[in-house]
Amino acid sequence: MITGAWVCLLAPLAGFLAILLAGTRITRRQAGIVSTASVFVGFAGALVAFLDAWSRDPDDRTELTTAWTWLKAGEFEVGLQLLVDPLSLVMMLIVTGVGGLIVLYSNGYMAGEDEERRYFAYMAFFVFSMLMLVMGGNLLLLLVGWGLVGLASYLLIGYYHDRTSAVAAAKKAFVINALGDAIMALGFFLLVAKLGSLDFGVVFDAAESGELSDTVVTLAALALLGGAVAKSAQIPFHTWLPDAMEGPTPVSALIHAATMVTAGVYLICRTHPVFEAAPDVQHLAAIIGMVTLLVAGVVALVQWDIKRVIAYSTMSQIGYMFVGAGVGAYGFAMFHLFTHAFFKALLFLAAGMVIHHLHGEQDIRKMGGLKSSMPFTHVTFLVGTLALIGIPPLSGFWSKDAIVSSAGAMGGVLGWTLYVGCLVGALLTGLYAMRLYFYVFRGEPAAGAAPAAAEHGHHGEGPQSMKIPVAVLAVGSAIAGLLQIPGVWEPFDTWIDPVAEPLVHPSVAEDYLTSLFAVTLGTIGIYLAWRAFTAGRELVRAGGVRTALEHKLWFDELYDAVFSRPAQAIAVGLRDRFEGPVVQGGLDEVAEGTLRGAAATSAAQTGLLRTYALAITISVAVLALVFLVVR
Amino acid sequence: MENFLVWVIWLVAAGACLVTGLRVVTASNPFSSALSLIGNLASLAVLYLLASGEFVAAAQVLVYAGAVMVMFLFVIAYLGGRADAPWAGGTRTIQIASVVTAAALLAVTLVALMLDAGGRLSDEADVDRAFGSPAEMGRYFLTDQLLAFEITSIVLLVAAVGGVVLGMRSEAEALADAEETA
Amino acid sequence: MSGPGIPWYLAISAMLFSIGVAGVLLRRSPLIVLLSLEIMLNASNLAFVGFSRLFGEMDGQVFALAVMAVAAAEVCVGLGLIVAMARRNLALDVDSFTELRG
Repeated sequence: MITGAWVCLLAPLAGFLAILLAGTRITRRQAGIVSTASVFVGFAGALVAFLDAWSRDPDDRTELTTAWTWLKAGEFEVGLQLLVDPLSLVMMLIVTGVGGLIVLYSNGYMAGEDEERRYFAYMAFFVFSMLMLVMGGNLLLLLVGWGLVGLASYLLIGYYHDRTSAVAAAKKAFVINALGDAIMALGFFLLVAKLGSLDFGVVFDAAESGELSDTVVTLAALALLGGAVAKSAQIPFHTWLPDAMEGPTPVSALIHAATMVTAGVYLICRTHPVFEAAPDVQHLAAIIGMVTLLVAGVVALVQWDIKRVIAYSTMSQIGYMFVGAGVGAYGFAMFHLFTHAFFKALLFLAAGMVIHHLHGEQDIRKMGGLKSSMPFTHVTFLVGTLALIGIPPLSGFWSKDAIVSSAGAMGGVLGWTLYVGCLVGALLTGLYAMRLYFYVFRGEPAAGAAPAAAEHGHHGEGPQSMKIPVAVLAVGSAIAGLLQIPGVWEPFDTWIDPVAEPLVHPSVAEDYLTSLFAVTLGTIGIYLAWRAFTAGRELVRAGGVRTALEHKLWFDELYDAVFSRPAQAIAVGLRDRFEGPVVQGGLDEVAEGTLRGAAATSAAQTGLLRTYALAITISVAVLALVFLVVR
Repeated sequence: MENFLVWVIWLVAAGACLVTGLRVVTASNPFSSALSLIGNLASLAVLYLLASGEFVAAAQVLVYAGAVMVMFLFVIAYLGGRADAPWAGGTRTIQIASVVTAAALLAVTLVALMLDAGGRLSDEADVDRAFGSPAEMGRYFLTDQLLAFEITSIVLLVAAVGGVVLGMRSEAEALADAEETA
Repeated sequence: MSGPGIPWYLAISAMLFSIGVAGVLLRRSPLIVLLSLEIMLNASNLAFVGFSRLFGEMDGQVFALAVMAVAAAEVCVGLGLIVAMARRNLALDVDSFTELRG
């Protein structure tokens, strides 16, 4: 199991280093092949580890291995540790499996000049970082992986570096992620101060046994939540995700749909003992999830960019996962993460095929009627959309509704509020997802779209390297849900159980009742969207509401005014008042002083012999005097 | 009586020594300086005699006054008493500093002498008549101080070579001379 | 010994030495500088001889002779330099050689 895990971790790293060191000596195609191969090798390693774990007793599936002691400061020790257990194995399979498919897709999508070598290197690097995050055996290594995925995200969002909008988006993503990292690090400092260790075992035991005071545990949990919220683009740290769509579409699929943004959910599930010891924070996580899923769902109703709609959808679905983790249904949250990876990546990749087919057009108002010209994409996109909405028997149905019924099972004011909120979210999902589908694939082709489609007609919808991953993901989206049928078989839940035991257990009846509500609402949403589209109307027409939604509830403007402007003003002020006169002036003074000293000293070098002779004589006289006095 | 004579000779010699010394340093004509130096050397020889350094005195007169000073006079004659430079050099500050330093050096030494006079400097050793004679000198040179003897000879050799090299004509000069005579 | 004691010789030596120092530092013609240098060397010779008489050892006189030889050598080279300077029509002025300036 451990060997498989090491192979899984190191293969993408090897791929990254290979492309990096080969530099300009390899072509784009070769870089793409190396990258894809390395990720698939990682998948093979993960598979081996998984099969080994499967063959064991459920209680025997956790292994913590230490490579060497990485950091030692007094009594604080951190080893280079890998933790392979059911939770990390799920993530490893998702990251390398879906990741591999997406990198394969990129080979076709990113056709162009040789600069794409950089892209493939970054993709391999990202996979490695994400694996480091999920396989980290202690909090510090998790943080290392956490930071590295933030870096990979920055590098890939800003991939089109000559576009100022892309660069700005990359910076925004990185800054907000760094904010989350800093909050998490503060939490870690607290833990180190109180416990002297960042090992999972030590921290979790201390949290469970009550060794840490309530305040400390709450603060630590808050810090973890802060990091998770920033990484997973939940409110209030969500503003970076829509802008992150500036990156290439496969990047959006991998990082901002399937893996990186779900890292927050993974974190909560992994560190659940800390959250369980601070129940208020855990409930806060659920509330944040619900707020995000509603806000994102509503804002998605007025977006015109195909990728932005899907981005808000991602935000919304992760909100579901946060609700799941917040009520203690860790298995269900992870299951939704699993199915979401399939259908969200599918949606992004299919959207990529549309964009590719239309030569870079992303505005859905300029699309339409692609059902006939892109049949393969049409079918796969529809599968993904229906899975997203949660129509049985597709995967989303099984995973999403489990979370909702868990909220109901929790009960209380909070539980039922979450329950209702999630159901409203199901309605919203139906609305915005179908709206997107109708605009892109149904109706009349927009003026200008037809010639582009005709040009591309000669090579079909896309190369095989793009179609195969999409097909695989479509199949996955369809059947992956069947891994968890309440009341019949629940292998996923049982798999996760030893690592993260759920706090709530909805009964089978509750499950099916919830599903009924959800599917009904989803279908209502589809119907309303269809009605609006065929009538040529927009779904949200009320002026004030529409403006608010179009401005994404003015979050960006708020942050700009409160954080961005003052920060810039401070920076400019410091530069003018402090750095200029004091720092630069100080350095100038030092330089000038040195020059003056040198000039003064060189005045002694008169070049006249008599000066030197005089100096010698004076020294002799002084010495004689000294001798006289001393003796 | 004898003592008195010795004192007189000593005072005369010492006085001549100082006076000629001052003349060397202050004369503007290098010729006068050189001649004063010869006088200085002679009075020093007298002082050496009074201090039982017979051989040294003889060597002083023969080598120093006889050979070295003659060389000086030759060069001064060759140069024709060129007065290229003013008397004193350096800025006013340097001049004053020089005089002051010399005076300070003198003062320090005199003070040291006065403090020790009556101490370690007053026990003169008794010497026999052979002290300072050529025989004694020769014996020392060839036994105890052989190294000094040999090194001195090397120094003289080096100086001789140096003198020749310095006096050699450069290529440019040789060419110029050849042109002139052609 | 009759006559002045050794300190008197040493006093004369000191006075001669400082006269020589003043000459070396003050004068501008290289010839005069060399002559002042000779004064200094002679002063040290006198001191050597005086100390030799004080201690009854011949070493001082032996060394005085060595000093004399070295002085002769030095004068030889120094005068060679001055003659070379004159041959090249350089000014016989110690202050005009300022290539070490700065």
